[in-house]
Amino acid sequence: MADPTQGATIDLTDVTKIYANGDLTVEALKPLNLTVAEGESVAIMGPSGSGKTTLLGILGCLDRPTSGSYRLVGEEVATLSETQRARVRGQRIGFIFQAYNLLSRLDAFRNVELPLIYAGVAARERRPRVLAALDEVGLSDRVHHLPNQLSGGQQQRVAIARALVIHPSVLLADEPTGNLDSRSAEEVLAILERVNQTGSTIVLVTHSDDVARRSSRIVRFADGAIVADERVGVAS
Amino acid sequence: MSGTFEQWRIAVASLRANWFRAALTAVGVVIGVASLAAVAAVSAGAQAEVADGIRRLGGNVIKVDGEFITIGTRQSASDRTITPEDVDAITKLPMVSGVAPHQDLESAVVSAGRRQANTWVVGMTETYATVQNQHAQTGRLISASDVNFGRSVMVVGLTARDRLFPGENPIGKSVRVGGHEFEVIGVQSRRGKLSSENLDNRIFVPLPVATRVLLGGVNVVHADTRVRTEADIAPAIEQISTMLRQQHKLPAAYPDDFSAEDQAGLVREAQRASSTFRLLTFSLGGIAMLVGGIGIMNMMLVSVHERTREIGIRKSVGATPAKVQLQFLIEALVLSSLGGAVGVLTGVGATRLISTFAGWRTLISPASLAVAFLVALGVGLFFGYFPARRAARMDPITALRYE
Repeated sequence: MADPTQGATIDLTDVTKIYANGDLTVEALKPLNLTVAEGESVAIMGPSGSGKTTLLGILGCLDRPTSGSYRLVGEEVATLSETQRARVRGQRIGFIFQAYNLLSRLDAFRNVELPLIYAGVAARERRPRVLAALDEVGLSDRVHHLPNQLSGGQQQRVAIARALVIHPSVLLADEPTGNLDSRSAEEVLAILERVNQTGSTIVLVTHSDDVARRSSRIVRFADGAIVADERVGVAS
Repeated sequence: MSGTFEQWRIAVASLRANWFRAALTAVGVVIGVASLAAVAAVSAGAQAEVADGIRRLGGNVIKVDGEFITIGTRQSASDRTITPEDVDAITKLPMVSGVAPHQDLESAVVSAGRRQANTWVVGMTETYATVQNQHAQTGRLISASDVNFGRSVMVVGLTARDRLFPGENPIGKSVRVGGHEFEVIGVQSRRGKLSSENLDNRIFVPLPVATRVLLGGVNVVHADTRVRTEADIAPAIEQISTMLRQQHKLPAAYPDDFSAEDQAGLVREAQRASSTFRLLTFSLGGIAMLVGGIGIMNMMLVSVHERTREIGIRKSVGATPAKVQLQFLIEALVLSSLGGAVGVLTGVGATRLISTFAGWRTLISPASLAVAFLVALGVGLFFGYFPARRAARMDPITALRYE
């Protein structure tokens, strides 16, 4: 391949993010270039305030870069309007948060169904897809449980099902095991690994070396810039 | 769109989660809609009453009445200024179809046997029947020969009959008025009320008997004049006024010693006082609605604030600003339409109570109920818009981080 960015899932070129607060401006991201190929699993590491969460917000189209270009599966998304970005989020991006972020009044089924509703998928098509996603995370027997009737690990698996149900181009995870005990964390990581092996692209932010080591690539941040970018695991 | 039903479901679910707060919030709308619906019903009832009154009394009637006048410090001696010549002159006007001169004794104690009643005596002629649309329920009315021969006969109104002859047939019985005996020959059919006057507490005797025997003199205070069409009313009042001033030889500086007014106008006038009251109630309903709307807005703002994180989550899974806005607007709409529906029912109930206890005539029209309900919806939309827009504009990252 002549152009390594060709066919990349994520392609950031000279992306910056500057927060202005009165006279004070904070350069959260210095001009940044990052390419993630389809099927990669990338761990982003770095101390607090190094810009990794800002990057995840931009990758998830929750936030817009101050300058630079962000191509998601070939489509420029840095300049999209709020409504267009909402559609991109709903169709291409699956979020997994540290705090699960399930809607407490909705049961597992309704939570997983949510992205499909906003994507305008018809009700009769939604049901099998929701059930398949819950099956994929091993929660076929918890379909109508409310979040507070589920353990932390189970809630996070519901959140993963909600992220997977739209078949996203990229799965973005922000400390997905941060709130979990080691056994639940292991379950969640195993699911993410399996999902990655079936071809999904994953970008996750973590403090944990154990979590990072299970990715195919580790990108290290400091002061809003990438300081290291290494491939792991594929010991030849 | 497949999402719309879902939006409704979401809105109803979140209201149910906070049903007590939602119910309290809706009370303002309930009161507003209920009072609007009740006032509309009372108002429509009053208008129907007016229309009925005009129909019963007959339209196109000008009430020409003699009046006292004051010149300097001196008041005229009598308001019986309408002479027989005046009545003849008015009768000859081309647009006039009939004149009924009458002289009333507005408060008189009359007796039948041992029973006494305070009533209103009308001395009139046979033309009264046609001009004032008078009908006999039983017996007959005062005839031309009764008037010409000065017979001591009497027609009684329904209330007067009930007081003097409760449960009896009055025809042929006698009634004493100021030492003079009259024979009852008929009972007048129902006339209803004009303002606070009960038109059924009246008794009618031939004018010559009333003027000569009871009051003396030949002049009268009243000359009810019927014109041919409604369009004749205003010009007739003009001409009668000019003519009467000439006949009474009033100097230009003197005020009219008579008045001439449209009777239908008097009926409407009688309702005007109560329409002021209705306007007041109506404004109170409007204020209740406004307060209800502000309540909705307040609750929606609290709700949006409390659900900041939910909004962030919904946005992260693909909810566009428009969909978030719609969700909260629908919530406000559901709230206000529930309030509106309960308000309509309460309004109908209140109207029933008003009819029963105040004795007012009311008229509940589906259209006015629909309008009251739509006003509630409008209030919900209007006051729900700002909170919904605030939700829609929330920054997803900030919202997701909100604790």
